[in-house]
Amino acid sequence: MAIMRLNVGPIHPSTHGVLRLVVDVDGDTVKSVEPHIGFLHRGVEKLMENRMYMQSPSYVEKLDYVAPLSWDDLYVAAVEQATGILCKERAQFARVVLLEFQRIASHLLWLGTFANDVGQLFTLFMWCFRERAMILKLLEDVSGSRMFYVNLRLGGLYQDLPSDFKDRAYKLADYLEGKIVEYPDVLDENPIFLERTKGIGVLGKEDAINYGVSGPVLRASGIEEDTRKSNPYYTYGRIKFRIPTGNRGDSYDRYKVRYEEMLQSIRIIRETLDLMPDKGDVIGLPIKLIGPNAKPAPVMISRELPRGEGMIYMIPDKQKPYRISMRSPAFVNLAALPKMSENCKFADLFPTLGSIDIVLAELDR
Amino acid sequence: MEIQSEALARTLEGLKTKGFDYLKKITAVDRVDHLEVVYILYSTINNEHEIVLTQLPSENPEIGTAMKFYKAADWYERELSEMFGIKIKGRKAKRLLLEKWNGAEAPLRKSFEWANPNYKKL
Repeated sequence: MAIMRLNVGPIHPSTHGVLRLVVDVDGDTVKSVEPHIGFLHRGVEKLMENRMYMQSPSYVEKLDYVAPLSWDDLYVAAVEQATGILCKERAQFARVVLLEFQRIASHLLWLGTFANDVGQLFTLFMWCFRERAMILKLLEDVSGSRMFYVNLRLGGLYQDLPSDFKDRAYKLADYLEGKIVEYPDVLDENPIFLERTKGIGVLGKEDAINYGVSGPVLRASGIEEDTRKSNPYYTYGRIKFRIPTGNRGDSYDRYKVRYEEMLQSIRIIRETLDLMPDKGDVIGLPIKLIGPNAKPAPVMISRELPRGEGMIYMIPDKQKPYRISMRSPAFVNLAALPKMSENCKFADLFPTLGSIDIVLAELDR
Repeated sequence: MEIQSEALARTLEGLKTKGFDYLKKITAVDRVDHLEVVYILYSTINNEHEIVLTQLPSENPEIGTAMKFYKAADWYERELSEMFGIKIKGRKAKRLLLEKWNGAEAPLRKSFEWANPNYKKL
């Protein structure tokens, strides 16, 4: 049969952003997929080379609008390493709690939209957004902004935590756990969901490593790799948690890994709050006072972002980075899409794409 | 680890047999008088990093491909060639990955004017 070339996107509800896929199909079997990216490319790396260090966090946050705090943390940590400023102890605990809440919020948004892609229409979507809104409310009360926090400063946060922060965080963790455990009821017993995710979009162990995928996509393929464990930062080294892994590497495993990760995040939040001192300084250096004279030695720093491993390789200069290069986890994960969707049905391409959890703004930088 | 650009394939092959099975990032730095290409490798078994640096001339830079050893190199190399104007030997020129313009100038080179020259400089 003749091969037909289909064009999906760049504006398409299933591509979760501005992504174009050129798909060659034989009947309804996908023969090849070529992602066309770059629609949101705005040269963030170049812009940051021409900004003072602490002018850049708002650029970094706009990379990933689903988990801005995680990127903010990655960037601020890179600058802290370059300038030799240490993060205050209580601020480290606070960052871990906020980052894990951010991870849950990001996974919730993913889960809701993924369920929509697959045919669990809007029930789960509404549930996920209900819980996500509560997390955003807490983050708003900590930072003053609902989505783009720009909350981290060198050595700490920009203002003290609310006095009832610990209580509210405990309560929210309890609430989230109670709700999140209900989610599998509408997924794991839903034949449509299982049919469309099990055995679909398989990425084997060797391929996962060879393609360099990271985060839940890598762990779903059965590799226990998590920066929080392998190179612990902040207080992660002092906390017990598990790295959820899958074994088949299909879309279902990627869902399961993210689901388990949310529960592990709640566990991390609880344990961190237990260890966190009630009093102490969390406030970092104010932006205006900063003229960090960074050493020119290259900085390489990794963080486990919700979408995978983010990394910054930076050559610092005195006031601005001489060169900053960012590893976007979604960029690498999307590059493995053609492998995942080899010879799958055309309708299965979208659950596979959805299961990678891409954010196009981060991908294109 | 600093190497000659000709020795890239040999080095990567050696590192891969030593357990560095995961390519994290390929990037480059424009040092004005030369270009520096950076390969960041990782070993999922031993949990360690290795950074491979190699220098290229600013004029007509060329480097071999890492695709033979790491499939992850695919998009990184395409990004490298359009952002720094580095030619990747052994790879067919494809459409640009990120840019949607003519790509005549490499945007991440220091010689590239980042803003409209008429704007007020910071």
